[in-house]
Amino acid sequence: MQTDKAAVANLTASSRPPRVGSKRRRELILLWAFLLPSLVIFFLYRVLPLLWNVLLSFEQFSLFGASKWNGVDHYRDMLEDDVFWTALWNTLIYIASAPLGIVLALVVSLMVNTEVRGRNLYRTVVFLSYPLMTVAVGIIWRWMYDEKVGLFNFVLRSLGIIDKPLPFLQSFEWALPSVLLANVWQILGFYMIILLAGLQSIPQNLYEAAAIDGASKRQQFFRITLPLLRPSIFLAFVIGIMTSFTSFDLVYVMTQGGPSHSSELLVTYIYKVAFELSKIDYAAALTVVQFALLVVLTWLGNRLSGGDAGARETG
Amino acid sequence: MSTVKCLWRSTRLFSLAVLALGLAASTPVAAQQKKLSFLTWNIADQEELFKEWIADFKKIRPDVDVEWLDKKGPEFPTYYQTQVIAGTPPDIINTQGGLWLEYAAAGGLVDMTPLMAKDADVRQRFNADYLANWSYEKKNFMLPFYISKTLLFYNKTMFKEAGLSGPPQSFEQMMEFAAKMSKGEKTGLMTLNFDWLYWPMFKMNGVELLTADLKKAAFNTPKAIQVLDTLAKATAAGSVNKISWTGRWVEPNGAFAAGNVGMLHAHSPAFFFIRGQAPWLNAETFGAAHLPGGWSTPSSHGWGISKGSKHPDVAWEFLKMITNDRNTARFSERRKVLTGNIASDKATLDKMSKADPLAAAVLRTQIEQTDKLTGNWPLANDSRVKEAFYPEIQNAVLGRKTAADALRDAEPKVNKVLSR
Repeated sequence: MQTDKAAVANLTASSRPPRVGSKRRRELILLWAFLLPSLVIFFLYRVLPLLWNVLLSFEQFSLFGASKWNGVDHYRDMLEDDVFWTALWNTLIYIASAPLGIVLALVVSLMVNTEVRGRNLYRTVVFLSYPLMTVAVGIIWRWMYDEKVGLFNFVLRSLGIIDKPLPFLQSFEWALPSVLLANVWQILGFYMIILLAGLQSIPQNLYEAAAIDGASKRQQFFRITLPLLRPSIFLAFVIGIMTSFTSFDLVYVMTQGGPSHSSELLVTYIYKVAFELSKIDYAAALTVVQFALLVVLTWLGNRLSGGDAGARETG
Repeated sequence: MSTVKCLWRSTRLFSLAVLALGLAASTPVAAQQKKLSFLTWNIADQEELFKEWIADFKKIRPDVDVEWLDKKGPEFPTYYQTQVIAGTPPDIINTQGGLWLEYAAAGGLVDMTPLMAKDADVRQRFNADYLANWSYEKKNFMLPFYISKTLLFYNKTMFKEAGLSGPPQSFEQMMEFAAKMSKGEKTGLMTLNFDWLYWPMFKMNGVELLTADLKKAAFNTPKAIQVLDTLAKATAAGSVNKISWTGRWVEPNGAFAAGNVGMLHAHSPAFFFIRGQAPWLNAETFGAAHLPGGWSTPSSHGWGISKGSKHPDVAWEFLKMITNDRNTARFSERRKVLTGNIASDKATLDKMSKADPLAAAVLRTQIEQTDKLTGNWPLANDSRVKEAFYPEIQNAVLGRKTAADALRDAEPKVNKVLSR
């Protein structure tokens, strides 16, 4: 009897329409429960410091006392600060090296994506530079650029290209390009991996169809490879911009932003202003400008790639 | 059971566990121990000694737990300033360069003058010139930890090959010697430039950076232009290596260790780095002397007490212990550096003269001519003044501007910083 009652109750329950609202609410609570720790961390470590940084840029900050409201004075100072303009210009040049690195990486990727013998070895060799510690890269390149005993001067002089050694890192003209070259060398392997993954995801039958239609290799590259590589190129571009913006260690190790700020980047200048000159408030204002620039450039990059992070072609 | 239900149950269980742990952790602890922390700057190799200090202090003050922290060069200010903002600065800090001045001027360090008046023996322990180096507005904010100042290392073999003997006696002779020794990979002269270690080369020529009242720039003079022009021409000719104006520590010292540099103007710790890399180095091939005129720039480290310390009295007690004759001697012996403590420096040098005469000869220069320390100005914005000046020096010595133009351009920049 008891069993029958239970069976009826079960039957009634199963024939009852599901409690959609309650299930949905439970799912939502669960969703937020999982998201909340990450969001809290994101808010505490990203959003809050950013907001505090913006506030700080309008203050006269004292490490040991009360801060005073300073209005836009730091931003006004920035307009008259020659080093800021040099650093900004250098940063833009540094960012401009990202596309150069991507183009080079694309060439390398196309080469190692062919059926060439020993391609895995080539891939490894090209990628090897990326996992190296940036400080070590800086020190190695610093020695290679040395005026008296550096490899570059030795090679250039041996080939008769120059007759006097070039003081690469002690020169106002060469310091920044020298650091840029080291930077491109280091990140090339990383770009290559991204682009190689992109290349390998392009279906071969597209090329076969194009070949049947009589498309040349050049046409295949511009009509198939390049459009379908857009998401990868966009990813490399965004990462390139971000790493250029934060490329502190390489510059600091190789030139410290010198000589006379000729290889200064915004990020190295911000560090110096904040922690060597203890002008934390002014450094905050510089950071706001750098952040704004980063947002604009990323937005621009997104727009250039079709406004959908380059993903439209694959959609 | 659906996946959602399962996850829901797990989440509830996990939340309860976290809550229980949190409650357990927040149970009041009965301990009433005082906590003292001291922060050192890039000297982690002395961990063993610092632990001994901590153990020794525990014997005197069992109610105090001492914690030691060490941060590498660029990390130090970042870490300390972050801790200050968080309201938890280390009680004791070991700092150098111009940072302590900024901290002291902004009210971040404890004025030790009354403490030293109370414990007069502490003041008497130290070389007065080195102690004065840590003074701002006639108040002492730091005690010496270890001392160093610049001197001239020279390669006797290169001197001999160039037909020279003995260290140079004047700036002109130094430049002349440098020119004679420069050839191919060989460079006549190199200097370290961080922390303004290069400044004695100006000072020995009577060039002053600022007026006596420290209110205005005083360097734009015909003599300063002449000195800068000489250095620029020597740099262009290769007798002064360009790295002197851009490199930091490793390259100039490494180049001297490779036997490619005739004279190196560096501070005393460089000697041990160089010796470690230069098998050729011995009393016959290597010399150490004062720069002409005896001028030098100190690059010393000191101990200060944070104003935000909860136990400044305990911090002072700890500092008294670690700067006494016994503890400074222990540190000197292990680190092969002098400490500014008169008695222990003498004992160290006496001992070292027998065991390692060459190192003793180098270190002896550190307690000589201490009345001729230069390159630091007791200004709250000392580092900003230097930052306004040095890039223009680089412009001149590396050939972007003439000496006259560089000094002319530097003058308003320095005055602007001074006027703020």
